[in-house]
Amino acid sequence: MAGGKQNKLSREEELLLQDFSRNVSTKSSALFYGNAFIVSAIPMWLFWRIHQMDLYQSAIIFVIGTIISTYLVALAYKNVKFILKHKIALKREDAVAKEMMKKLADDKRMTKKEKDERVLWKKNEVADYEATTFSIFYNNALYLVLLIVASFFLLKNFNPVVNYSLSVGSAAGLLALFSTSSKV
Amino acid sequence: MKLWITALILTFGCFIPSFGEEETDARLLASKNVLNQYLVEGKDLTVEYKIFNVGSRVAFNVLLNDNSFPESSFSIVSGNLKVEWERIAPNSNVTHAVILKPLKSGYFNFTSAELSYHTSEESRERTLGYTSFPGEGGIVPQREFDRRFSPHVLDWLVFAFMTLPSLGIPFLLWYSSKSKYDQSKVKKN
Repeated sequence: MAGGKQNKLSREEELLLQDFSRNVSTKSSALFYGNAFIVSAIPMWLFWRIHQMDLYQSAIIFVIGTIISTYLVALAYKNVKFILKHKIALKREDAVAKEMMKKLADDKRMTKKEKDERVLWKKNEVADYEATTFSIFYNNALYLVLLIVASFFLLKNFNPVVNYSLSVGSAAGLLALFSTSSKV
Repeated sequence: MKLWITALILTFGCFIPSFGEEETDARLLASKNVLNQYLVEGKDLTVEYKIFNVGSRVAFNVLLNDNSFPESSFSIVSGNLKVEWERIAPNSNVTHAVILKPLKSGYFNFTSAELSYHTSEESRERTLGYTSFPGEGGIVPQREFDRRFSPHVLDWLVFAFMTLPSLGIPFLLWYSSKSKYDQSKVKKN
C-alpha cells in the first residue's frame, strides 16, 4: 500500500516538475528542431533566387548558417514556450477544470484526488500544447520579419555572402536574445 | 549633348586639312552612339549611326562598315554592321541602327566605325572617314542586373508559399485550442 502511495505521489511530483521545468520532452524537442530547421532553410531560397547566390558555391556557408540558425531558433522556441506555458496554464485553469469535471461527473468511482490529478494533467497538456504551437508561430513570424528587414533593407547593398551570414546570424541571434526576456 | 558636340567636333576635325578648299564636294560627318543606359550581358544593345552630308554636293556610294564588334563578344540581333547608301543628298542626313547582344560581361571599348564614299559621281577615289567613338562602356553581368532590377514576383510568391505552412499550421493549431477553451470560459460567465 505504502509503495502504491509513494508511486502516486511521485507521479504528481513528476507532473509538477514537468510543469515547471525548462526541459522539453524528446518529442517536442524533435518538433522544435524540425520546425527550426524548416524555417532556417527558407532563407536559402531567397538568397539563391533573389540575391543570386550560387547554390553550389555557397553550399558551405548555407549549411553553416542553417545549422546555427536552427539551434538558435529552437532555443528561442524553448524559452518562449517555457514562459508562455505558465501564463496559459493560469488562463486556462478554470475552463479546463470545468471541462474535465463535466467529463468525469458520471464516473462515480473516481475519488476527488484522482479527478484533481486528471485536471492537473489535462491543464498541463493544454498549456503545453498551446504554448508550443504559439511559440512556434510567434518565433517563425518574428524570424522571417527580422530576416527580410535585415537582408532587403539594412544589408541590401552588401555582398550576398556577407548579407546572408549577417542577416541569418542577426535574425536568429536577436530571436534567441528576445526569447530570454521574461516578457513576451 | 556634350558628347554629341564632341563627336561632331572630332569628326569635323578629320576634315580640317580640306578647309582651305572650295566647298564644292560632298562632305560627310558621322556619329556613332550606344543608346542603352545599362549595357547588360545577354540583353539587347542598340547602336545608332547618324551620317550628315554637310557638303554642297551629293555623296555617292556611301559605305558604313563597323568592324569594332568581334563575333566572340557580340551577336547581331537585328540590322547590319555593313551598310551602303547609293547617295546622300547635300544638307541631309541618314540614320542607321543595329541591335546587338553582348555575350560577355566586363569593360568593352566601343571604337569608331569606318565610312567611305565618293565625293562626286566621277571621282574614282573613295574618301575615307571615321565615325565618333562612344568610348569605354561597362557591360554588366546579367546576374548582377537581375539582382538589382528584377522584381522577382514569382520568387516571392514561392517564398510566401513556403512560409505559409510554417506560420499557418502552428497558428491554426493554437487558435483552435484557444477558441475551444475561451468559449467554454465565456459560457461559464
